[in-house]
Amino acid sequence: MKHHEEGWGWMLAVDFFFAGMGGAMLLIAGVLDLLPGEAGTSLLGNICGPLFISLGACFLILELGRPFQAWRVFMNPKAILTIGAWTMTLAIGFGFIYASFGLDVFPWSKMVGLRKLCAVICIITGLIVATYPGILLGRHKSRPFWNGPGMMVLFLLSSLVTGGAAHLLSAYLFTSSLAGNIAGLNLTVALLLAFQFLVWLVYLWVKISGTTTREAVAARRWLNGEFAAPFKYGFLLAGTLVPFILLFFEQRGLTMVAACLVLIGGFIMRNLVVSSGNIDRTWLPGELDYRSRLPLGDEEFLRAWNNK
Amino acid sequence: MKKIDLQQEGLEIKKACCYFCHQNCGVLVYVKDGKILHFEGDPDYPTNTGGLCCRGNVNLIHLDHPARVNYPLKRKGKRGAGEWERISWDQALTEIADRLAAIKAEFGAEAVATAGGTSRTDDWARRRFMNLFGSPNCFHNSHLCWIPTFMVETAIYGWSPFEIDLGLSRCIVLWGQNPGASTLPEMSGISALKEKGLKVIVIDPRYTETAAKADLWLPLRPGSDLALALAWIHVIIYEGLCDYDFIQENCVGFDELTAHVEQFTPEWAEPITWLSAEQIREGARMYAMNRPGNIQWGVAIDQQGKPAGAAMHARAILRAITGNLDCPGADLLTGPSQEFITDEEMELNEYLPEEQKAKQLGSDRFKLVTWPGYGRIAELTKKYWGKAPTAEWMCEAHPPTVYNAILTGKPYPVKALLVSATNPVNSYGESQKTLAALRAVDFLVTCDYWLTPCAMLSDYVLPIAGSFERPTITSTYGCSDFLLASQRAIQPLYERRTDFEFWRDLGIKLGQAEHWPWATLEDAYLYRLEPLGYGVESYDEFVEYYRFHFPERQYYKYKEKGGFATPSGKIELYSSVLEELGYPPLPPYIPPVENEIDHPEVAKEYPLVLTTGAGVMPFHHSEHFQIKELRFLRHEPQMEINPRTAKEYGIEEGDWVWIETRRGRIKQKAHLTEGISPGVVFTQRGWWYPERDMRDPELGGCLESNTNVLTSTVLEDCDPLSGTWANRGLLCKVYKVQDGAKEGNK
Amino acid sequence: MARYALVIDSRRCIGCHSCTVACRVHNELPIDMIYNPVTTVGPKGVFPHVRMMHIPLLCMHCDNPPCVDACPTGASQQRPDGIVWVDQNKCVGCKACVMACPYGARVSNKETGTVQKCDFCMERVEDGLLPFCVKTCHQKARIFGDLDDKDSDVFKLVNKEPSIRLLAELGTEPQVYYIYSWEV
Ligand code: SF4
Ligand code: SF4
Ligand code: SF4
Repeated sequence: MKHHEEGWGWMLAVDFFFAGMGGAMLLIAGVLDLLPGEAGTSLLGNICGPLFISLGACFLILELGRPFQAWRVFMNPKAILTIGAWTMTLAIGFGFIYASFGLDVFPWSKMVGLRKLCAVICIITGLIVATYPGILLGRHKSRPFWNGPGMMVLFLLSSLVTGGAAHLLSAYLFTSSLAGNIAGLNLTVALLLAFQFLVWLVYLWVKISGTTTREAVAARRWLNGEFAAPFKYGFLLAGTLVPFILLFFEQRGLTMVAACLVLIGGFIMRNLVVSSGNIDRTWLPGELDYRSRLPLGDEEFLRAWNNK
Repeated sequence: MKKIDLQQEGLEIKKACCYFCHQNCGVLVYVKDGKILHFEGDPDYPTNTGGLCCRGNVNLIHLDHPARVNYPLKRKGKRGAGEWERISWDQALTEIADRLAAIKAEFGAEAVATAGGTSRTDDWARRRFMNLFGSPNCFHNSHLCWIPTFMVETAIYGWSPFEIDLGLSRCIVLWGQNPGASTLPEMSGISALKEKGLKVIVIDPRYTETAAKADLWLPLRPGSDLALALAWIHVIIYEGLCDYDFIQENCVGFDELTAHVEQFTPEWAEPITWLSAEQIREGARMYAMNRPGNIQWGVAIDQQGKPAGAAMHARAILRAITGNLDCPGADLLTGPSQEFITDEEMELNEYLPEEQKAKQLGSDRFKLVTWPGYGRIAELTKKYWGKAPTAEWMCEAHPPTVYNAILTGKPYPVKALLVSATNPVNSYGESQKTLAALRAVDFLVTCDYWLTPCAMLSDYVLPIAGSFERPTITSTYGCSDFLLASQRAIQPLYERRTDFEFWRDLGIKLGQAEHWPWATLEDAYLYRLEPLGYGVESYDEFVEYYRFHFPERQYYKYKEKGGFATPSGKIELYSSVLEELGYPPLPPYIPPVENEIDHPEVAKEYPLVLTTGAGVMPFHHSEHFQIKELRFLRHEPQMEINPRTAKEYGIEEGDWVWIETRRGRIKQKAHLTEGISPGVVFTQRGWWYPERDMRDPELGGCLESNTNVLTSTVLEDCDPLSGTWANRGLLCKVYKVQDGAKEGNK
Repeated sequence: MARYALVIDSRRCIGCHSCTVACRVHNELPIDMIYNPVTTVGPKGVFPHVRMMHIPLLCMHCDNPPCVDACPTGASQQRPDGIVWVDQNKCVGCKACVMACPYGARVSNKETGTVQKCDFCMERVEDGLLPFCVKTCHQKARIFGDLDDKDSDVFKLVNKEPSIRLLAELGTEPQVYYIYSWEV
C-alpha cells in the first residue's frame, strides 16, 4: 500500500556514492604513495578524489531543507553527521593539497616528505569519509535493513571498488598501460568485487534468517520485491560479476568498461540502500494501516482547498 | 504556533458552544476587538468538561472557510448553472416574500413546504413562521433520528424517558447507538462508570468503537431489532424476571402482552436475528437482572422503516416490565420544563387553522408524528404536564410524500421549498427522487453555510451564521426540563444572519410583524428564560453568570402526580392511543423491509444485507467534507465487508466497489474487517465531493458515493406509525468497479 | 525538577482522532504533517470473537533520545524536564533525526525546510496548561503530568497499573506509558 514516506531523498544516496568514492580515492592514492616504488595514480585521479567528495557535499547540502544554513551541521560533536562533515572538509582540503604535489608550478611539488605526510592524512580522512555513512546507517536501530555493523562493511567495500575503478579510469584516460603501484589495482579491485559479492549474499542471508521478521521482510525486497531487478541485474551482475571478469584481462578497453560498470553498480546500490531504510521502519502497532489510509497529497480535495 | 497572550488587556472570554453535533460542547472563546484569537473546550461545562472532538477543534476553520456563503445570492443563469448575483438581505427577503405570497394566493399556503436538518437552527421560529403563514408542511429528516421513538414512548408512558440517570445505574443497553463515534461526552461518562462496574450491552451489527468496550456485544442482523426486542420480552416474562410490583401498580395490558409474546421465543428469533438463543437470553437477563438499568436510544431503530414503530413499542415495554422507569438509576420521565418557556410555547401552533392541519402531507397514512397523533398526544400531555412536545420535529409532514407531491402534483401541488440547515440530496432517503424533486420544484430557497448540491439548484441562497456567531440554547429538541445556554463570541461575519432572523424578517415582510416582538435572538431567549427568575437583564448575563439551569432531580413523579399522561393514567403496554389511531395496540412482528426469509427472489439477486446511516468520526451527517483538516482522516468513502464475503466476490482491501440495491448503486472503497458479520455490508453516509464541479448535473458527485441512493422511501417500506423510511436491513449486492467510471447524476 | 510524561489509557481511547486534529489545528500544521496519529489494531480474531484497540502515537520524549544524538546542528535538544524539542532557528532539515527516531515522531515541514515534532506544547505547559491533545480528549485517555511528583496522576498510574512502553527494547527509555486493554 502506498503512503507518504518521511525520509532521506535520492540526493543523499548520491552524496554517499560520490563521497564514498572520493574518500576511497584519497585512501588508495595515499596507500600507493606510501608503498615502496612509484604510486602511479594519475594527477586526474588525485584531483578527482577531493572533487568527488566536494560533489557529494554539494548533494548533501542540496538535500537539506535549508541549504543556506548548511554551516550549522558542524555544531554537534556527538553526531556522526557532524564528524562526517568535519572529516569531509579536511579530506577535501588535504586531497587537493596532495594533488597539488603533482603540479610542477607549485614550489612544494618536490618536497617528498611533506607529500608523504599529506598522504597519511589523506589515508585517515579518506578512510573515515568512506566508512562513516555505513556507520551512520548501521546505528539506526529501527531501520531493520540498515541496522548492524554489516552496513559499514558493505559501504566501505563499495567505496573501495568505486574509488579503485575511478582511479583506473582516470589513469587509463591518458595512457594505454599502467605503471607503478597502480598496476596492481586491476586485480585488487577484481578481488574486492568478488568479496563484495560474497558479503552481500551473506548480509542478505543473515537478515532473512535474522532475529526479527521486519529484517526478513526488508531483505526479501532485495530478492523478490521491488528492489530485486535493479539489485540483481544492475548491481550484482552488471556492477560486480561482469567487471570482476573483465578486470582479469588487464587490458585498457576492458578495464575502462569494467570501471564504468562498477560505478554504475555502486550508484544503484547506494540508492537502493537509502530507500530501503526509508521504506522499512519498525512499524508500531497499526501504524502502517493508518499511514496507508492518509491522502498522498495530490488528491482533488487537497488541490481545491490547500492554498486557500 | 504563534503564542497568544491570554492575559492581555481587552481580551474577553466568551462562553460559546460548538454547534457541530447535538452535544453542543461548551467552548471558551478569547475575543479581542471583535476578533477571535483563540478557543478551547470549557472545563466547567457539564458535558464535555474541556474536551472537544475533531469537529469541535475546527470551529475557527469553519468560521472563515473560503467555501462559506457570506452574502445573499440570487440565481442569474439557469437553475444549477452556478451563476450568482450578490444582493442585499432586504432585496432577497422582499422577493422571496412576494413569491411566497403569490404561490399562496394561487395554490394555497400548503403549497409552500420547508425542509430542515439536524439542529443547527431555532426551529421554533420556522414553525412560528409557517403556522402564521398557514402551511402544515414543515418537515425534517428527524424521522430518522429519535422523533418516532419520542412519540411512541410518549403514547405509552406519557413522555419519553430520554433522561438517563446513569450515575446510579448498573446496566446500560446501547441499542444501535455508538457514542464512541457520535456523542463523545456520553462515551466518556460510560467508560468512567464501567470502571466502577456498570454493565454495558451493545446491540449493533458492527463492532464499533463502543462495542469494543462492551461487556456484551450482540451483532444482530441489520433490521432485526424488533425480533430481538420481542424475544427479550419473552425471556423476561417467561423467566419471571419482571418487576411485578411495578407492573401491578402502574401498567395496563400485561396479561395481553404475556399471551402476545408467548410465540416470540429466543429460538424463534434465532434465524431472524442471526444471534443464538443463548446470546439473546444472556442479553435479556443481563438487562433485567442488573437493576436499575437503562436503555439508551440510538438512531438504529428509527431508521428501519416498516418495523421501526413496533420495535420502539417493544423496546418501550422492556423498560416498563422491568420497572426501569423514573426510579433512581433508571430512565427518567422528567416531562417538559415547568420553569422556562419551551420551544412548543414559542411556536404558535394554535394559529394554524384546523383545515390546514388536515392538509398536512402524509398525515392520512402516517398518523403518529403528524397532526392526528401529535394532536392527541399534545392534548394528553397538556392535561398532565401543562405542556406539549415541540411540534417542530414531533409533528411533521412526511418528507417522501412531500417530494412526491412536488413531482406529481398529488394530492395537491407543492410549489415552493424553503430549505434550512440540510443537504437533502445526501440526507433524505432515495436521493434520486429527492434530487428530482429539488430540480422540479418551482421555487427553491436555501439557507446554509455552504453551496451544497441543493443550494446550487436554488433560486436564492442565504448566508447563515455558524457556531461562534450565534447564541444557542440546548434543550434536547425543546423537550428537556433543563437547559444549557451559550452566547455568541462575535457578531456574524460578512452578511451572515441566524436562521431566526431569516424567518422573523420574512414573516414581517408577510405581515406577521406583531408576532415577532424580539429584535434579536438574544431578546427571544431572554423572554424564554425570564420565568426562571434569575433576575438577569440580558441573555448574555445569564450565560456569563449561570450558563445552565438544572431543576432539582425528582424521581417517581408519577406517584405524586397520580399516574401517567396516557388516557388510562397508567403505562399502557397495551396502547390505547395507538389503537385509537388505528394501529396494533401491542407490537406485532414485522420482518425487516427486505430479507432473505420473506423475499427469497430479491435475495437471489441481492444476497447481502446492507446497513447504513451510522455516524463516522470526523464527519457529521453530510457535513465537513470541505474541511481538509478533517477530511484527511478519511478522505474517501469506505464500505465495510467481512474478509470471507469479500473473498467470495473477489474484493480486496482498498478496491473501489459498487454497492447496489433495487434502487440504485453507489461506489465506495472496500475495507475488509472481521468486525462485521459475513453477509453484511456497511456503507458510510453523507458522501459528496464539494471539491468537484458543483454545477448541475455534476453537483459535486452527490449521487456517486451517497448511501441514500440505496435506501428505500417506498410508502410500503415506511413505518406505518411514523412514516420513517428504511436505511437498514436492506438487501444489496457488491461488485468491483471495473473502470474508473463515475456515476452520473441524471 | 519536573520530568514530564504521558500515560495513555487505551482502555479508554476510542480512536476518535480528536487529539490529532487538535494538535494540527492549534499548531497550524500543514496537512501532510502529523505529530500524533492514532492507529487501530484489529478487529483481531474471527467474527464475532474479535477485539480492537486504538493506540495514539506521538513523540515519546525519550530519556535516551537517539534523535538528539543524531542531530548535527544541536537544534534537537532535551530540556532538563525531559521535553525533547527542535530549535527552529538552528534546524537545517537534514532529517538525521527523522531517520534516527524509531517512533516516526518527526516530520519535515516543506514550507520552512525544517523538521518539527511534538514538544508537549511546552509553552502551554510552562503556563500551567495541558498540551492540546490532552485537553481535547473527551475520554480522558491521555494523562499528562510530572513523574517526579508523587501525587501526580501519571506517577500513580505508572507505578500502580501495568503499563508498557513501545520499542523499549531499543534502549530509548520512552516516557509515554501505555495501559493496554489486551496484549498486542
Ligand atoms: S461536534 Fe464534537 S465538540 Fe462539537 S458538540 Fe459535538 S462532540 Fe462536542
Ligand atoms: S482524543 Fe483521546 S480518545 Fe480520542 S483518539 Fe485521542 S487519545 Fe483516543
Ligand atoms: S520519540 Fe523520537 S523524536 Fe521523540 S524523543 Fe524519542 S527519538 Fe526523539
